[in-house]
Amino acid sequence: MTELEMNEDTAMQYIVVKIGSEQYGINIASVDNIIRMQKITRVPTAQFYFKGVLNLRGVIVPVMSIHQRMELEESEITDKSRVVILRIEENGLLGIIVDEVSEVVTLTRNEIDPPNRDSRSTKDSFINGIGKNGGRLISLFDITTIVDQEETA
Amino acid sequence: MDVSQYLEIFIDETSEHIQALSDNIMALEKEPHDMDTVNEIFRAAHSLKGMAGTMGFKRMQHLTHTMEDVFQEVRSDKVQVNSAMIDILFKCLDAIEGYLDNVKNTSNEGTDDNEALVKSLEDYLNAAENGGAAPEEKPAAAPAPAEESAVSADAAESQEAAYLSIELADEEKDAIRASLNAGQKVYGITAYIDKECLLKAARAFLVFKAVEEFGQIIVFHPSSQDIEDEHFEFDFSFFLATAETDFDKIANAAKAVTEIVDVLGGEVDEAFLSSGKADEPESAEETAPAVAEPASQAAPAAAETKASGATNAPATKNKPVAGRTVRVDIEKLDSLMNQVSELIIAKNSLVSLSNSTDGKGLTQQEATEQIEYLERITTTLHESVMKVRMVPIESTVNKFPRMIRDLSRKLDKKMELIMTGEDTELDRTVVDQIGDPLQHLLRNSADHGLESAEVRRERGKPETGTIRLDAYQEGNNVVIEVSDDGNGIDTEAVKAKAIERGVVTADQAETMSQKEIIDMLFMPSFSMAKQITDISGRGVGLDVVKSNIEALGGDVEVKSKLGEGSKFTVRLPLTLAIIQALMVEVRDEKYAIALASIETIENISVTDIKYVEAKEVINLRGVVIPIIRLDQILECTPEKEDDDNLTVVIVRKGDKLVGLVVDSLGGQQEIVIKSLGKYISYNKIISGATVLGDGGIALILDVNVLM
Repeated sequence: MTELEMNEDTAMQYIVVKIGSEQYGINIASVDNIIRMQKITRVPTAQFYFKGVLNLRGVIVPVMSIHQRMELEESEITDKSRVVILRIEENGLLGIIVDEVSEVVTLTRNEIDPPNRDSRSTKDSFINGIGKNGGRLISLFDITTIVDQEETA
Repeated sequence: MDVSQYLEIFIDETSEHIQALSDNIMALEKEPHDMDTVNEIFRAAHSLKGMAGTMGFKRMQHLTHTMEDVFQEVRSDKVQVNSAMIDILFKCLDAIEGYLDNVKNTSNEGTDDNEALVKSLEDYLNAAENGGAAPEEKPAAAPAPAEESAVSADAAESQEAAYLSIELADEEKDAIRASLNAGQKVYGITAYIDKECLLKAARAFLVFKAVEEFGQIIVFHPSSQDIEDEHFEFDFSFFLATAETDFDKIANAAKAVTEIVDVLGGEVDEAFLSSGKADEPESAEETAPAVAEPASQAAPAAAETKASGATNAPATKNKPVAGRTVRVDIEKLDSLMNQVSELIIAKNSLVSLSNSTDGKGLTQQEATEQIEYLERITTTLHESVMKVRMVPIESTVNKFPRMIRDLSRKLDKKMELIMTGEDTELDRTVVDQIGDPLQHLLRNSADHGLESAEVRRERGKPETGTIRLDAYQEGNNVVIEVSDDGNGIDTEAVKAKAIERGVVTADQAETMSQKEIIDMLFMPSFSMAKQITDISGRGVGLDVVKSNIEALGGDVEVKSKLGEGSKFTVRLPLTLAIIQALMVEVRDEKYAIALASIETIENISVTDIKYVEAKEVINLRGVVIPIIRLDQILECTPEKEDDDNLTVVIVRKGDKLVGLVVDSLGGQQEIVIKSLGKYISYNKIISGATVLGDGGIALILDVNVLM
């Protein structure tokens, strides 16, 4: 279910992460786990935005640099960096590296605006809504597009 | 009743019975008078019939029932087994297999009635009857459709309870009279059971139990023995002597039993008993048909409403049900259990050790001991788990004798198949997938390998050609050899064909070794059959065999001698999930190479590298081996200057060798193969990943791709 299909009063929880200088929201339903940075093993000849694979309790999980995926500038790995492990139906787990995980917010349908589609940057094609939380704006990820485009790539 | 939960068992067991039938019919063909075999077949057909009936597969039940009848006649020596009959029986088997395939794919048996087959079976039965045999019970016509068509509008109206038309024996009447005289009420009751019900006897028993709360059942109809043996349709009647005056109470108690559709009944008095029904012999004849009629009409009528609801059910769940299961010997599970308990003990002793030594922790020696203990347990545990996945190749190869028999007829060549080592065990996944390639090799031997009887006679060979399938374990591999004593591979013909097809030039062909020529057979679209037959030779031959086997991590080799026969050797790994591997390092990354494909490891001076066609090669003890630099293929950074000495891992695929340049060698290790997932697209050279002892990941290199 995408956010746009929700009723007026349905509330959804989002994990707010920082990527570059912006705040992004990931629907909590697609998050399996959030882990600290750990050793990532490079996979030769993989797509450029894949950092490699990591070992999550015996399961091999591919890890993507969301910065490179969104054609943003790669940022440094710091103490605050985290790998958000997404569970996408049928295809298993996928990790994305974010600069910081800050909080969980609850947004109702009223607080979500449709995305601004004018822009043609790759970055915006992953966004399917803008959440208003207090004074902040949070771009909401459309998890499936991260994968969909990846599959055709 | 929903039987879908039993589907998997049904599929498993049906396959087993089909196999048993196939084996025994083959045996019967050789020795038509062996009564043990006939009995075996009879039993298998009987079990199949029973299972199909239970699952509601009426067509399958009908076919197997007819087969059973035929064997009944064979058993009593009224029908002789002949080869035409064997042919029909094999066709029946194919038909049953067809049903089973339908069941696997759609949970339904399909709509093929196989009437022709049933007809030809019945011909045997009729022949037996005409031969002066005692009247034989006619094979039951498919019961369900017959009954359903009988259900018409007027049948629904007929709600007369069956008990009213029961013929009572004198002593039964006496029993009822005695109860009446004792001041009790006697009710005649008929209960109707849901047509989908599987355990009719159990339901009847529950009904009896429920009504016996109120009084005593004095008469059963049919008899209690028949009810126990389920010798009744969908209703049964009884007379209850009770002090209870409210019949509805009794009826409701009986109806409370699940799958009881309806309970009809009423009070019985002297008038009922003396009503003349069944008393005089002449009227008995008249009522006899009536006994069955209302009963069979009322039952479907009552069940109809339920049935109409149920008919939709199978249609909605048409998904494949074939499960991927392994039957595990209970002993294997026991040893697994034991090892797990040992693992727990080991953990506990570690815990207690770390607690006991007042904060000092484990001493070095204690730790080493415990680690060794743990190591031993995990190794045996791993072996046990692997064994659980292993199944004998029997399940795959035992369909081959039948296939060779059919081929023998079709090709009009005399041949026999000798199999050894059917009990050799392989990983379930491999066993499932090895069937097709082996079948192909056998067909190949039968079609192209063996000569016709005349040619064989001329060459002084026995007229009957021999095809062998030998399986055995060899180290960490299982070897399956398919050989024949036929013509062998005519390398000159292969060469000519290769030139004609433009695969090689005439000059190249001249310099090729025998082996290279034979290997050309494995190239795509290289079929040697002079005529395209439906047995082999559609150009999707050996290359498919080869790629199938390679997909399983194995390889295939051919040895052949013209005029004497050929031998295909298939080599397969014991298991796919866990392999022995050599760990190597390229820059600071770790990779694993399957030990099975490693030939040797060499230290080579940079100056030994030569160039052939602008490619790096080395000359190792007279063999020219191409060199692949892993750091380049794996896009490792940074570039590194060559040392004076290179470590080269020589890997083999078939008889091709390639040298892989690595930076350093790690040890040999047992690794568990894991998938990298679907998201990441990577070079084919990486076949998976494994988790190392320190939690890190090493990628597994598939050297086959390099060659």
